Amino acid sequence: MAKKIDINVQHITRVEGHGNIRVKATDGTIEKVEWQVPEAPRFFEAMVRGRSYDDIQTIVSRICGICSVTHSLAAIKAVENAIGVTVSDQADKLRMLCHYGEQIESHVLHVGYLVAPDLLGQQSVVPLVESHPDVVKTIIRAHKAGNKWMEVIGGRMTHPVTIKVGGLTKAPTEQELRDLKKMLEEVVPDLKTIAEVVLSLADKLPAFERETEYIALKEPGHYTFYHGEIGSSDVDATTPVQNFESVANEYVSPQSTAKWCKWHRDSYAVGALARYNLNAEHLLPLATEVAKSFGLEKGCCNPYMNNVAQVIECVQVVEHGLQLIDELLTAGVKEETVKVEPQAGEGAGCVEAPRGILFHRYAFDKKGMCESANICIPTGQNHANIQKDFESLVPQVIDKEQDEIRLLMEMLVRAYDPCISCSTHYLDVEFV
Amino acid sequence: MNPTVIIGLGNPLMRDEGIGIRLVERIRDDSRLPAGVEALDLGTGGLTVLHAIEGRSRAIFVDCAMMDEEPGTMRRFTPDQVRTRRVGLRLSLHEGDLLSILEMAREMDACPDEVVIFGIQPKVVEQGEGLSPELEERMGEYVGRVCGCVGV
Repeated sequence: MAKKIDINVQHITRVEGHGNIRVKATDGTIEKVEWQVPEAPRFFEAMVRGRSYDDIQTIVSRICGICSVTHSLAAIKAVENAIGVTVSDQADKLRMLCHYGEQIESHVLHVGYLVAPDLLGQQSVVPLVESHPDVVKTIIRAHKAGNKWMEVIGGRMTHPVTIKVGGLTKAPTEQELRDLKKMLEEVVPDLKTIAEVVLSLADKLPAFERETEYIALKEPGHYTFYHGEIGSSDVDATTPVQNFESVANEYVSPQSTAKWCKWHRDSYAVGALARYNLNAEHLLPLATEVAKSFGLEKGCCNPYMNNVAQVIECVQVVEHGLQLIDELLTAGVKEETVKVEPQAGEGAGCVEAPRGILFHRYAFDKKGMCESANICIPTGQNHANIQKDFESLVPQVIDKEQDEIRLLMEMLVRAYDPCISCSTHYLDVEFV
Repeated sequence: MNPTVIIGLGNPLMRDEGIGIRLVERIRDDSRLPAGVEALDLGTGGLTVLHAIEGRSRAIFVDCAMMDEEPGTMRRFTPDQVRTRRVGLRLSLHEGDLLSILEMAREMDACPDEVVIFGIQPKVVEQGEGLSPELEERMGEYVGRVCGCVGV
């Protein structure tokens, strides 16, 4: 009797947004392997047209609840680039600090609640409460710290309110920064525990490799999430953020409402592993130690190791966050009032979302009203790579039982930490 | 940190489903709220509820609840007095059934000793803004009952 594989995962669980996995095979011959994205378009690029430069950050932070700080910062950088505004060193550091809060909150949420169940043989985090209560408590504490971190600088945990063109509406007090410093110091042992738990389960991460291009921000001497130019594992030279469209090369795929991207190959990967592959030598000491304990090599092309890179990054952002707080306290925190005069212009902004490099572009008229927008999302940039990974993985595992194949594919998608509803794109259609 | 916390849950964009949020907004400004007691808007809840109740000895929740009562009825109960009829699909972290989350907190010894839930029966749960008149006209009474519970 023919061995038939028919996998049809409608709306994969434990990822943000909606994606489907489709595999059909008979007796080892693969007829169909597809990563489908059916998520509805979000229309943000249309929504911001006609809105003031001052409103853009507020609107586009709503693209996402997990990476709202990231969208706010990419937007603000793009707006400031477009209308010619520079910010103070203090504002720059505070924004980076807020951004770090989101990295740790997102990574811990993802690794702890969404990936850990796979590694511990459970369907969700809820049964883990009974089987591994202390681990769950540690994850909850670290997650809470990330939320609190964003609240202190951004004004609230989701959709920050202090980030505005030219700076911040309100700086945290020095006491708030000292309290934040204490909280970060206290979260370090929890992060070490999480790293140890993931390390103990590392053999559950499939040993799958596929060479691909990795793209991330690159800044000399820093493991950067915020400043720099666009770097690639395929070329040494970096590309200015202004030219991001020449990197992303978005195109429509029929199996996806999110566009696909490619540059030097037919797909590329962004995210924690991409950042690690481009910048690992710049990790701070404690993060380097954690990386060593995992034996994660620069140049790793196992997508499942993206979650290990996320754990390492949690330590990195806390380490650098503590340095930034010390620098701010040494300089003394001042309330800054900023006067911004809009002018016509176009500009791009880029920051690393927890799940990869994010680009925003806006154009404004002389009154500062938005004329056009283009937002290129990290998960959108990963969709083609997920498809290519599927095409490589499935033939290698086609002889396994159907449920095992399905789980490996679901784990692969989860490894990318996709934010699918961020990634669906407004299609600009002209009827002929 | 005050040992008592009031937590409003709900979605104000779903008409009466937002009663918990509207209530904590009024409670915050009310003189009957004892000093130092926070009234938190936790939106649609989920795992952030765990963060808010950690370390507290008393948590008071206000939320829209389907209780087979007349619209606008407010009932006070504890988790032990009810059983959730809603079976989650466990597809999403946004799907945080309060009673399941409190159960999780209890399993981890991270649940306050005292948990009180004020449920309000909705009239309309659909997309839109604004409460039904049956709920809007009783807001003063709801605020009084919740603040009164805190003061005891």
